[in-house]
Amino acid sequence: MVNHAELLSFDVATLAAKFRAKEISPVEVADAYLERIELIDEKLLAYITVTADDARAAARRAETEIVAGNWRGPFHGVPIALKDLCYTRGTLTTGGSKILADFVPDFDCTLWARLREAGAVLLGKLNLHEFASGATNTNPHWGTCRNPYNLERIPGGSSGGSGAAIVAKLAAATIGTDTGGSIRIPAAFCGCVGMKQTWSRVSRYGVLPLADSLDHAGPITRTVRDAALMLQVIAGHDPHDSTSSTEPVPDYAAALTGDLKGVRIGIITELLTGLSDEVALSFNAALRELRILGTEVEEVKIANIDTASTIATNIMFAEAAEYHEQWMRTRAHEYGHDVRRMLEAGMMTPAVYYVRAQRARAAILAETMKALEKFTVLVAPTASIPAPRIDVGGRALTDSGAPVDMVASVLRFTAPFNVTGQPALAIPTGLSPGGLPLSMQFIGKPFDEATVFKVADAYERARGPLAEPKL
Amino acid sequence: MARLNGPTVKALALELFDYQFSDADAASVAHIVGAMANYSRRLHAIGLAGLQPPFGYPTMRAEADRIRHNS
Repeated sequence: MVNHAELLSFDVATLAAKFRAKEISPVEVADAYLERIELIDEKLLAYITVTADDARAAARRAETEIVAGNWRGPFHGVPIALKDLCYTRGTLTTGGSKILADFVPDFDCTLWARLREAGAVLLGKLNLHEFASGATNTNPHWGTCRNPYNLERIPGGSSGGSGAAIVAKLAAATIGTDTGGSIRIPAAFCGCVGMKQTWSRVSRYGVLPLADSLDHAGPITRTVRDAALMLQVIAGHDPHDSTSSTEPVPDYAAALTGDLKGVRIGIITELLTGLSDEVALSFNAALRELRILGTEVEEVKIANIDTASTIATNIMFAEAAEYHEQWMRTRAHEYGHDVRRMLEAGMMTPAVYYVRAQRARAAILAETMKALEKFTVLVAPTASIPAPRIDVGGRALTDSGAPVDMVASVLRFTAPFNVTGQPALAIPTGLSPGGLPLSMQFIGKPFDEATVFKVADAYERARGPLAEPKL
Repeated sequence: MARLNGPTVKALALELFDYQFSDADAASVAHIVGAMANYSRRLHAIGLAGLQPPFGYPTMRAEADRIRHNS
Protein backbone atom coordinates (compact mmCIF):
# COMPACT_ATOMS: atom_id res chain seq x y z
CA MET A 1 0.00 0.00 0.00
CA VAL A 2 1.49 3.35 -1.05
CA ASN A 3 0.50 6.38 1.04
CA HIS A 4 -0.99 9.53 -0.49
CA ALA A 5 2.15 11.65 -0.05
CA GLU A 6 4.14 9.15 -2.03
CA LEU A 7 1.47 8.85 -4.74
CA LEU A 8 1.50 12.63 -5.14
CA SER A 9 5.29 12.69 -5.40
CA PHE A 10 5.35 10.63 -8.62
CA ASP A 11 5.93 12.49 -11.86
CA VAL A 12 4.12 11.41 -15.04
CA ALA A 13 6.90 9.10 -16.19
CA THR A 14 6.91 7.32 -12.81
CA LEU A 15 3.12 7.11 -12.65
CA ALA A 16 3.06 5.58 -16.13
CA ALA A 17 5.58 2.90 -15.20
CA LYS A 18 3.76 2.06 -11.97
CA PHE A 19 0.32 1.99 -13.59
CA ARG A 20 1.58 -0.26 -16.35
CA ALA A 21 3.22 -2.61 -13.83
CA LYS A 22 -0.07 -2.55 -11.85
CA GLU A 23 1.83 -1.46 -8.72
CA ILE A 24 -0.61 1.37 -8.09
CA SER A 25 -4.09 2.18 -9.41
CA PRO A 26 -5.30 5.28 -11.27
CA VAL A 27 -8.26 5.34 -8.88
CA GLU A 28 -6.13 5.69 -5.74
CA VAL A 29 -3.98 8.35 -7.44
CA ALA A 30 -7.03 10.34 -8.58
CA ASP A 31 -8.44 10.10 -5.04
CA ALA A 32 -5.15 11.33 -3.57
CA TYR A 33 -5.14 14.37 -5.86
CA LEU A 34 -8.81 15.17 -5.26
CA GLU A 35 -8.30 14.94 -1.51
CA ARG A 36 -5.31 17.30 -1.69
CA ILE A 37 -7.21 19.77 -3.89
CA GLU A 38 -9.98 19.80 -1.27
CA LEU A 39 -7.42 20.34 1.50
CA ILE A 40 -5.05 22.87 -0.06
CA ASP A 41 -6.69 24.71 -2.90
CA GLU A 42 -8.68 27.18 -0.85
CA LYS A 43 -5.30 28.75 -0.01
CA LEU A 44 -4.07 28.85 -3.60
CA LEU A 45 -7.18 29.13 -5.79
CA ALA A 46 -5.44 27.21 -8.55
CA TYR A 47 -8.72 25.68 -9.71
CA ILE A 48 -11.85 27.35 -11.04
CA THR A 49 -13.70 24.05 -11.52
CA VAL A 50 -12.93 20.63 -10.03
CA THR A 51 -14.47 17.72 -11.96
CA ALA A 52 -14.25 15.16 -9.16
CA ASP A 53 -17.01 12.78 -10.28
CA ASP A 54 -15.84 12.72 -13.89
CA ALA A 55 -12.25 12.25 -12.75
CA ARG A 56 -13.14 9.25 -10.58
CA ALA A 57 -15.15 7.71 -13.43
CA ALA A 58 -12.28 8.22 -15.89
CA ALA A 59 -9.80 6.76 -13.40
CA ARG A 60 -11.99 3.67 -12.97
CA ARG A 61 -12.16 3.23 -16.77
CA ALA A 62 -8.38 3.59 -17.01
CA GLU A 63 -7.87 1.04 -14.26
CA THR A 64 -10.16 -1.47 -15.98
CA GLU A 65 -8.38 -1.03 -19.32
CA ILE A 66 -4.88 -1.28 -17.83
CA VAL A 67 -5.77 -4.37 -15.79
CA ALA A 68 -7.14 -5.91 -19.00
CA GLY A 69 -3.79 -5.29 -20.66
CA ASN A 70 -4.92 -2.35 -22.80
CA TRP A 71 -2.36 0.26 -21.73
CA ARG A 72 -2.69 3.31 -24.01
CA GLY A 73 0.61 5.03 -23.21
CA PRO A 74 2.29 7.28 -20.63
CA PHE A 75 -0.81 9.41 -19.91
CA HIS A 76 -3.18 6.49 -19.33
CA GLY A 77 -4.73 7.10 -15.91
CA VAL A 78 -2.61 10.21 -15.22
CA PRO A 79 -4.49 13.05 -13.46
CA ILE A 80 -4.06 16.33 -15.30
CA ALA A 81 -5.72 19.74 -15.39
CA LEU A 82 -6.29 22.34 -18.12
CA LYS A 83 -6.11 26.11 -18.12
CA ASP A 84 -9.71 27.26 -18.13
CA LEU A 85 -9.64 28.56 -21.67
CA CYS A 86 -9.42 25.06 -23.15
CA TYR A 87 -12.84 23.91 -24.35
CA THR A 88 -14.10 20.82 -22.54
CA ARG A 89 -17.40 19.35 -23.70
CA GLY A 90 -20.03 19.58 -20.98
CA THR A 91 -17.70 21.31 -18.50
CA LEU A 92 -17.64 25.01 -17.62
CA THR A 93 -14.99 26.95 -19.56
CA THR A 94 -14.81 30.51 -18.26
CA GLY A 95 -11.61 31.95 -19.70
CA GLY A 96 -11.22 33.33 -16.19
CA SER A 97 -13.87 35.89 -17.11
CA LYS A 98 -17.28 37.08 -15.99
CA ILE A 99 -18.41 37.25 -19.59
CA LEU A 100 -18.07 33.46 -20.02
CA ALA A 101 -18.99 32.63 -16.41
CA ASP A 102 -21.70 30.19 -17.55
CA PHE A 103 -20.17 28.99 -20.82
CA VAL A 104 -20.25 25.22 -21.35
CA PRO A 105 -18.73 24.14 -24.70
CA ASP A 106 -20.31 21.37 -26.76
CA PHE A 107 -16.96 20.05 -28.03
CA ASP A 108 -13.46 19.38 -26.75
CA CYS A 109 -10.45 21.38 -27.86
CA THR A 110 -8.13 19.17 -29.88
CA LEU A 111 -5.36 19.05 -27.31
CA TRP A 112 -7.76 17.78 -24.63
CA ALA A 113 -9.34 15.34 -27.12
CA ARG A 114 -5.84 13.92 -27.72
CA LEU A 115 -5.00 13.71 -24.01
CA ARG A 116 -8.41 12.12 -23.31
CA GLU A 117 -7.79 9.53 -26.05
CA ALA A 118 -4.40 8.88 -24.46
CA GLY A 119 -6.27 7.99 -21.26
CA ALA A 120 -5.59 11.11 -19.18
CA VAL A 121 -7.90 11.83 -16.24
CA LEU A 122 -9.18 15.42 -16.06
CA LEU A 123 -9.19 16.77 -12.49
CA GLY A 124 -10.55 20.16 -13.48
CA LYS A 125 -10.03 23.59 -15.00
CA LEU A 126 -7.38 25.99 -13.77
CA ASN A 127 -7.35 29.65 -12.80
CA LEU A 128 -5.80 32.21 -15.12
CA HIS A 129 -5.47 35.93 -15.67
CA GLU A 130 -8.80 37.01 -17.21
CA PHE A 131 -8.85 35.93 -20.89
CA ALA A 132 -5.10 35.20 -20.56
CA SER A 133 -4.57 38.97 -20.81
CA GLY A 134 -1.98 39.60 -18.13
CA ALA A 135 0.99 38.16 -16.28
CA THR A 136 -0.07 38.29 -12.61
CA ASN A 137 -3.15 36.03 -12.37
CA THR A 138 -4.82 38.59 -10.13
CA ASN A 139 -8.35 37.73 -11.19
CA PRO A 140 -11.26 39.92 -10.06
CA HIS A 141 -13.88 37.33 -11.03
CA TRP A 142 -12.53 33.99 -9.78
CA GLY A 143 -10.06 35.07 -7.11
CA THR A 144 -6.35 35.72 -7.06
CA CYS A 145 -4.26 32.61 -7.57
CA ARG A 146 -1.27 32.46 -5.20
CA ASN A 147 2.29 31.23 -5.40
CA PRO A 148 2.83 27.93 -3.54
CA TYR A 149 6.27 29.08 -2.34
CA ASN A 150 4.87 32.26 -0.79
CA LEU A 151 1.15 32.97 -0.62
CA GLU A 152 1.73 36.72 -0.73
CA ARG A 153 3.43 36.43 -4.13
CA ILE A 154 1.93 36.12 -7.60
CA PRO A 155 2.21 32.75 -9.34
CA GLY A 156 2.81 34.58 -12.62
CA GLY A 157 0.44 34.43 -15.53
CA SER A 158 -1.50 34.15 -17.39
CA SER A 159 -1.39 30.39 -16.68
CA GLY A 160 -0.94 30.93 -12.93
CA GLY A 161 -3.26 28.12 -11.89
CA SER A 162 -1.35 25.71 -14.15
CA GLY A 163 2.00 26.57 -12.54
CA ALA A 164 0.66 26.65 -8.97
CA ALA A 165 -1.17 23.31 -9.38
CA ILE A 166 1.98 21.52 -10.53
CA VAL A 167 4.18 22.77 -7.71
CA ALA A 168 1.51 22.30 -5.02
CA LYS A 169 0.88 18.74 -6.27
CA LEU A 170 -2.69 19.46 -7.27
CA ALA A 171 -2.17 17.80 -10.70
CA ALA A 172 0.52 15.60 -12.22
CA ALA A 173 0.71 17.72 -15.39
CA THR A 174 -1.12 20.77 -16.71
CA ILE A 175 -1.70 22.72 -19.89
CA GLY A 176 -1.04 26.43 -20.16
CA THR A 177 -1.03 28.92 -23.02
CA ASP A 178 1.65 31.42 -23.95
CA THR A 179 1.16 34.61 -26.00
CA GLY A 180 3.90 36.76 -24.47
CA GLY A 181 5.27 34.33 -21.88
CA SER A 182 2.19 32.91 -20.14
CA ILE A 183 3.53 29.34 -19.89
CA ARG A 184 7.10 30.30 -19.00
CA ILE A 185 6.33 33.10 -16.52
CA PRO A 186 4.27 30.91 -14.13
CA ALA A 187 6.79 28.10 -14.61
CA ALA A 188 9.53 30.55 -13.59
CA PHE A 189 7.72 32.08 -10.61
CA CYS A 190 6.27 28.80 -9.30
CA GLY A 191 9.37 26.64 -9.92
CA CYS A 192 8.44 24.10 -12.59
CA VAL A 193 9.02 23.35 -16.27
CA GLY A 194 7.08 25.22 -18.95
CA MET A 195 7.41 24.39 -22.64
CA LYS A 196 6.26 26.83 -25.30
CA GLN A 197 6.85 24.78 -28.39
CA THR A 198 7.11 26.12 -31.96
CA TRP A 199 4.07 28.13 -33.06
CA SER A 200 1.68 25.84 -35.00
CA ARG A 201 3.17 22.65 -33.51
CA VAL A 202 0.08 22.16 -31.30
CA SER A 203 -3.48 22.76 -32.47
CA ARG A 204 -5.22 25.83 -31.04
CA TYR A 205 -8.67 24.54 -32.07
CA GLY A 206 -11.04 25.06 -29.16
CA VAL A 207 -8.63 27.18 -27.15
CA LEU A 208 -9.91 30.70 -26.47
CA PRO A 209 -7.50 33.07 -28.23
CA LEU A 210 -5.67 36.09 -26.90
CA ALA A 211 -3.78 36.86 -30.12
CA ASP A 212 -3.90 34.09 -32.70
CA SER A 213 -0.59 34.79 -34.38
CA LEU A 214 1.29 34.68 -31.05
CA ASP A 215 -0.73 32.06 -29.12
CA HIS A 216 0.74 28.69 -28.15
CA ALA A 217 -0.82 26.00 -25.92
CA GLY A 218 1.67 23.70 -24.21
CA PRO A 219 2.79 21.68 -21.19
CA ILE A 220 3.57 22.83 -17.66
CA THR A 221 5.10 19.95 -15.74
CA ARG A 222 7.40 18.88 -12.92
CA THR A 223 10.15 17.59 -15.18
CA VAL A 224 11.50 18.06 -18.68
CA ARG A 225 10.72 14.41 -19.43
CA ASP A 226 7.07 14.95 -18.50
CA ALA A 227 6.90 17.98 -20.80
CA ALA A 228 8.36 15.85 -23.61
CA LEU A 229 5.81 13.08 -22.96
CA MET A 230 2.93 15.56 -22.92
CA LEU A 231 4.01 17.36 -26.08
CA GLN A 232 4.26 13.96 -27.77
CA VAL A 233 0.54 13.46 -27.19
CA ILE A 234 -0.70 16.91 -28.21
CA ALA A 235 1.64 17.82 -31.10
CA GLY A 236 0.85 17.31 -34.75
CA HIS A 237 -1.44 18.53 -37.50
CA ASP A 238 -5.12 19.02 -36.80
CA PRO A 239 -7.55 19.45 -39.72
CA HIS A 240 -9.67 21.72 -37.46
CA ASP A 241 -6.76 24.20 -37.19
CA SER A 242 -5.52 25.16 -40.62
CA THR A 243 -2.50 26.89 -39.10
CA SER A 244 -1.34 23.70 -37.37
CA SER A 245 1.85 22.31 -38.85
CA THR A 246 2.23 19.13 -40.90
CA GLU A 247 5.89 18.82 -39.81
CA PRO A 248 6.53 15.28 -38.56
CA VAL A 249 6.60 14.87 -34.77
CA PRO A 250 9.75 13.04 -33.62
CA ASP A 251 10.10 10.83 -30.55
CA TYR A 252 10.90 13.48 -27.94
CA ALA A 253 11.71 11.05 -25.11
CA ALA A 254 14.34 9.39 -27.33
CA ALA A 255 16.24 12.69 -27.37
CA LEU A 256 16.73 12.64 -23.58
CA THR A 257 20.11 10.93 -23.64
CA GLY A 258 21.87 13.12 -21.09
CA ASP A 259 24.76 13.45 -23.53
CA LEU A 260 25.65 17.06 -24.28
CA LYS A 261 28.92 16.37 -26.07
CA GLY A 262 29.41 18.90 -28.86
CA VAL A 263 26.53 21.12 -27.69
CA ARG A 264 27.17 24.86 -28.01
CA ILE A 265 25.07 27.25 -25.95
CA GLY A 266 24.72 30.94 -26.81
CA ILE A 267 23.88 33.33 -23.97
CA ILE A 268 21.83 36.20 -25.36
CA THR A 269 23.87 39.25 -24.41
CA GLU A 270 20.98 41.71 -24.64
CA LEU A 271 19.00 39.72 -22.05
CA LEU A 272 21.74 39.91 -19.40
CA THR A 273 20.96 43.49 -18.37
CA GLY A 274 18.73 44.60 -15.52
CA LEU A 275 18.87 41.28 -13.67
CA SER A 276 18.30 41.19 -9.92
CA ASP A 277 21.28 39.89 -7.94
CA GLU A 278 19.59 36.58 -7.10
CA VAL A 279 18.64 35.92 -10.73
CA ALA A 280 22.16 36.80 -11.96
CA LEU A 281 23.82 34.54 -9.37
CA SER A 282 21.54 31.59 -10.05
CA PHE A 283 21.80 32.01 -13.84
CA ASN A 284 25.61 32.09 -13.66
CA ALA A 285 25.59 28.95 -11.48
CA ALA A 286 23.44 27.22 -14.11
CA LEU A 287 25.88 28.23 -16.85
CA ARG A 288 28.73 26.76 -14.81
CA GLU A 289 26.74 23.53 -14.52
CA LEU A 290 26.22 23.45 -18.27
CA ARG A 291 29.97 23.85 -18.82
CA ILE A 292 30.65 20.99 -16.40
CA LEU A 293 28.28 18.88 -18.52
CA GLY A 294 30.65 19.39 -21.44
CA THR A 295 28.96 22.19 -23.38
CA GLU A 296 30.66 25.25 -24.79
CA VAL A 297 28.97 28.37 -23.47
CA GLU A 298 29.56 31.89 -24.77
CA GLU A 299 27.70 35.12 -25.35
CA VAL A 300 26.00 35.98 -28.63
CA LYS A 301 24.45 39.28 -29.68
CA ILE A 302 21.03 39.31 -31.31
CA ALA A 303 20.34 42.58 -33.04
CA ASN A 304 17.00 44.27 -32.40
CA ILE A 305 15.79 41.69 -29.88
CA ASP A 306 14.87 44.60 -27.60
CA THR A 307 12.17 45.62 -30.08
CA ALA A 308 10.32 42.34 -29.53
CA SER A 309 8.23 43.65 -26.62
CA THR A 310 6.94 46.49 -28.81
CA ILE A 311 6.19 44.07 -31.63
CA ALA A 312 4.42 41.60 -29.34
CA THR A 313 2.41 44.27 -27.53
CA ASN A 314 1.23 45.85 -30.77
CA ILE A 315 0.10 42.53 -32.21
CA MET A 316 -1.41 41.31 -28.94
CA PHE A 317 -3.44 44.48 -28.36
CA ALA A 318 -4.76 44.61 -31.93
CA GLU A 319 -5.65 40.93 -32.31
CA ALA A 320 -7.23 40.76 -28.85
CA ALA A 321 -9.30 43.87 -29.54
CA GLU A 322 -10.58 42.36 -32.78
CA TYR A 323 -11.67 39.16 -30.98
CA HIS A 324 -13.37 41.05 -28.13
CA GLU A 325 -14.90 43.89 -30.14
CA GLN A 326 -18.51 42.74 -29.91
CA TRP A 327 -18.33 42.19 -26.16
CA MET A 328 -16.57 45.51 -25.69
CA ARG A 329 -19.48 47.26 -27.39
CA THR A 330 -22.09 45.67 -25.16
CA ARG A 331 -20.46 44.25 -22.01
CA ALA A 332 -17.34 46.32 -21.37
CA HIS A 333 -18.28 46.81 -17.71
CA GLU A 334 -17.91 43.06 -17.15
CA TYR A 335 -14.15 43.07 -17.82
CA GLY A 336 -11.57 43.62 -15.11
CA HIS A 337 -10.02 47.08 -15.20
CA ASP A 338 -6.61 46.03 -16.58
CA VAL A 339 -7.99 43.78 -19.31
CA ARG A 340 -10.53 46.37 -20.38
CA ARG A 341 -7.75 48.96 -20.60
CA MET A 342 -5.66 46.63 -22.80
CA LEU A 343 -8.61 46.05 -25.13
CA GLU A 344 -9.37 49.77 -25.28
CA ALA A 345 -5.76 50.43 -26.26
CA GLY A 346 -6.09 47.68 -28.87
CA MET A 347 -9.15 49.36 -30.37
CA MET A 348 -7.04 52.47 -30.88
CA THR A 349 -3.98 50.69 -32.31
CA PRO A 350 -3.45 51.90 -35.90
CA ALA A 351 -3.48 49.13 -38.53
CA VAL A 352 -0.28 50.64 -39.93
CA TYR A 353 1.59 49.71 -36.77
CA TYR A 354 0.01 46.28 -36.51
CA VAL A 355 1.16 45.36 -40.04
CA ARG A 356 4.60 46.84 -39.38
CA ALA A 357 4.92 44.74 -36.23
CA GLN A 358 3.98 41.63 -38.20
CA ARG A 359 6.59 42.43 -40.86
CA ALA A 360 9.27 42.97 -38.23
CA ARG A 361 8.84 39.42 -36.92
CA ALA A 362 10.78 37.86 -39.79
CA ALA A 363 13.65 40.28 -39.19
CA ILE A 364 13.92 39.22 -35.54
CA LEU A 365 13.68 35.52 -36.46
CA ALA A 366 16.45 36.02 -39.03
CA GLU A 367 18.69 37.35 -36.26
CA THR A 368 17.99 34.48 -33.84
CA MET A 369 18.47 31.94 -36.67
CA LYS A 370 21.78 33.56 -37.51
CA ALA A 371 22.86 32.96 -33.91
CA LEU A 372 21.66 29.36 -34.15
CA GLU A 373 23.96 28.72 -37.11
CA LYS A 374 26.76 28.79 -34.55
CA PHE A 375 24.97 27.54 -31.43
CA THR A 376 22.87 24.45 -30.71
CA VAL A 377 20.50 26.36 -28.44
CA LEU A 378 20.27 29.85 -26.94
CA VAL A 379 19.83 30.59 -23.25
CA ALA A 380 18.55 33.54 -21.21
CA PRO A 381 16.92 34.17 -17.84
CA THR A 382 13.13 33.71 -17.97
CA ALA A 383 12.58 36.83 -15.84
CA SER A 384 14.82 39.42 -14.23
CA ILE A 385 13.19 39.02 -10.81
CA PRO A 386 11.64 36.30 -8.64
CA ALA A 387 7.86 36.36 -8.10
CA PRO A 388 6.77 39.85 -6.99
CA ARG A 389 4.10 40.64 -4.41
CA ILE A 390 0.40 40.49 -5.15
CA ASP A 391 -1.36 43.80 -5.73
CA VAL A 392 -4.79 44.83 -6.98
CA GLY A 393 -5.93 45.39 -10.56
CA GLY A 394 -3.52 43.11 -12.39
CA ARG A 395 -0.42 44.80 -10.98
CA ALA A 396 2.43 43.38 -8.90
CA LEU A 397 4.68 45.06 -6.34
CA THR A 398 8.37 44.99 -5.51
CA ASP A 399 9.46 44.22 -1.94
CA SER A 400 9.55 47.96 -1.25
CA GLY A 401 5.97 48.36 -2.47
CA ALA A 402 6.58 50.00 -5.85
CA PRO A 403 4.68 48.74 -8.91
CA VAL A 404 6.67 46.24 -10.97
CA ASP A 405 7.16 47.07 -14.64
CA MET A 406 6.15 43.65 -15.99
CA VAL A 407 7.30 44.50 -19.52
CA ALA A 408 10.84 45.33 -18.40
CA SER A 409 11.04 42.58 -15.78
CA VAL A 410 9.39 39.70 -17.60
CA LEU A 411 7.98 40.24 -21.11
CA ARG A 412 11.32 41.56 -22.35
CA PHE A 413 12.72 38.05 -21.74
CA THR A 414 9.81 35.90 -22.88
CA ALA A 415 8.01 37.81 -25.67
CA PRO A 416 10.86 37.64 -28.22
CA PHE A 417 10.16 33.94 -28.74
CA ASN A 418 6.45 34.48 -29.23
CA VAL A 419 7.41 37.00 -31.89
CA THR A 420 9.75 34.47 -33.57
CA GLY A 421 7.58 31.43 -32.78
CA GLN A 422 10.63 29.39 -31.69
CA PRO A 423 10.48 26.70 -29.01
CA ALA A 424 11.44 28.05 -25.58
CA LEU A 425 11.49 26.00 -22.38
CA ALA A 426 11.62 27.52 -18.89
CA ILE A 427 13.34 25.50 -16.20
CA PRO A 428 14.13 26.31 -12.55
CA THR A 429 17.74 27.13 -11.70
CA GLY A 430 17.23 27.10 -7.93
CA LEU A 431 15.68 29.12 -5.13
CA SER A 432 16.54 32.67 -4.08
CA PRO A 433 17.81 33.37 -0.54
CA GLY A 434 14.19 34.35 0.19
CA GLY A 435 13.00 30.91 -0.93
CA LEU A 436 11.49 31.89 -4.29
CA PRO A 437 12.08 29.95 -7.55
CA LEU A 438 14.43 31.34 -10.21
CA SER A 439 14.48 30.23 -13.84
CA MET A 440 16.21 30.25 -17.20
CA GLN A 441 14.95 29.39 -20.67
CA PHE A 442 16.47 27.39 -23.51
CA ILE A 443 15.52 28.48 -27.01
CA GLY A 444 15.85 26.28 -30.09
CA LYS A 445 15.37 26.28 -33.83
CA PRO A 446 11.77 26.13 -35.10
CA PHE A 447 10.41 22.56 -34.80
CA ASP A 448 13.55 21.37 -33.00
CA GLU A 449 11.90 20.87 -29.62
CA ALA A 450 13.85 17.61 -29.29
CA THR A 451 17.17 19.43 -28.90
CA VAL A 452 15.70 21.87 -26.38
CA PHE A 453 14.37 18.94 -24.34
CA LYS A 454 17.73 17.16 -24.58
CA VAL A 455 19.74 20.09 -23.21
CA ALA A 456 17.17 20.99 -20.54
CA ASP A 457 16.84 17.38 -19.36
CA ALA A 458 20.60 16.99 -18.93
CA TYR A 459 20.77 20.26 -16.98
CA GLU A 460 17.79 19.23 -14.82
CA ARG A 461 19.47 15.95 -13.87
CA ALA A 462 22.68 17.79 -12.93
CA ARG A 463 20.80 20.47 -10.96
CA GLY A 464 18.92 17.95 -8.82
CA PRO A 465 15.56 18.46 -7.11
CA LEU A 466 14.37 21.81 -5.72
CA ALA A 467 13.28 22.15 -2.10
CA GLU A 468 9.50 21.82 -2.12
CA PRO A 469 7.17 24.57 -0.87
CA LYS A 470 5.65 24.14 2.59
CA LEU A 471 1.90 24.32 2.31
CA MET B 1 6.03 62.07 -31.49
CA ALA B 2 2.46 60.83 -31.58
CA ARG B 3 0.21 63.59 -30.18
CA LEU B 4 -2.81 61.50 -29.27
CA ASN B 5 -4.93 63.00 -26.49
CA GLY B 6 -8.00 62.08 -24.49
CA PRO B 7 -10.58 64.03 -26.54
CA THR B 8 -9.22 62.49 -29.78
CA VAL B 9 -9.47 58.98 -28.34
CA LYS B 10 -12.99 59.69 -27.11
CA ALA B 11 -14.11 60.92 -30.50
CA LEU B 12 -12.47 58.08 -32.43
CA ALA B 13 -13.88 55.39 -30.13
CA LEU B 14 -17.35 56.81 -30.44
CA GLU B 15 -17.23 57.21 -34.21
CA LEU B 16 -15.48 53.92 -34.98
CA PHE B 17 -16.85 51.58 -32.34
CA ASP B 18 -19.79 53.36 -30.72
CA TYR B 19 -17.74 53.05 -27.54
CA GLN B 20 -17.85 55.63 -24.77
CA PHE B 21 -14.88 56.62 -22.62
CA SER B 22 -14.77 58.73 -19.50
CA ASP B 23 -12.34 61.66 -19.76
CA ALA B 24 -9.85 59.98 -17.42
CA ASP B 25 -9.97 56.63 -19.22
CA ALA B 26 -9.57 58.29 -22.60
CA ALA B 27 -6.51 60.18 -21.36
CA SER B 28 -4.99 56.95 -20.03
CA VAL B 29 -5.57 55.10 -23.32
CA ALA B 30 -4.17 58.07 -25.26
CA HIS B 31 -1.01 57.79 -23.18
CA ILE B 32 -0.65 54.02 -23.79
CA VAL B 33 -1.37 54.16 -27.52
CA GLY B 34 0.76 57.27 -27.98
CA ALA B 35 3.75 55.54 -26.41
CA MET B 36 3.15 52.42 -28.49
CA ALA B 37 2.92 54.47 -31.66
CA ASN B 38 6.24 56.14 -30.90
CA TYR B 39 7.92 52.78 -30.34
CA SER B 40 6.29 51.37 -33.47
CA ARG B 41 7.62 54.18 -35.64
CA ARG B 42 11.11 53.22 -34.51
CA LEU B 43 10.65 49.68 -35.88
CA HIS B 44 11.47 51.17 -39.27
CA ALA B 45 15.05 51.41 -38.07
CA ILE B 46 15.31 47.61 -38.19
CA GLY B 47 15.26 47.84 -41.97
CA LEU B 48 11.96 46.36 -43.08
CA ALA B 49 12.15 47.22 -46.76
CA GLY B 50 10.87 44.35 -48.86
CA LEU B 51 9.76 42.22 -45.90
CA GLN B 52 6.37 40.56 -46.32
CA PRO B 53 3.95 40.19 -43.40
CA PRO B 54 3.58 36.53 -42.35
CA PHE B 55 0.06 36.07 -43.72
CA GLY B 56 0.29 32.93 -45.84
CA TYR B 57 -1.88 32.13 -48.84
CA PRO B 58 -1.76 28.38 -48.02
CA THR B 59 -3.40 29.14 -44.66
CA MET B 60 -6.06 31.23 -46.33
CA ARG B 61 -6.86 28.40 -48.76
CA ALA B 62 -6.90 25.84 -45.95
CA GLU B 63 -9.31 28.02 -43.96
CA ALA B 64 -11.57 28.36 -46.99
CA ASP B 65 -11.55 24.56 -47.44
CA ARG B 66 -12.32 24.02 -43.77
CA ILE B 67 -15.25 26.46 -43.86
CA ARG B 68 -16.57 24.83 -47.05
CA HIS B 69 -16.40 21.32 -45.57
CA ASN B 70 -18.05 22.40 -42.34
CA SER B 71 -20.95 24.23 -44.00
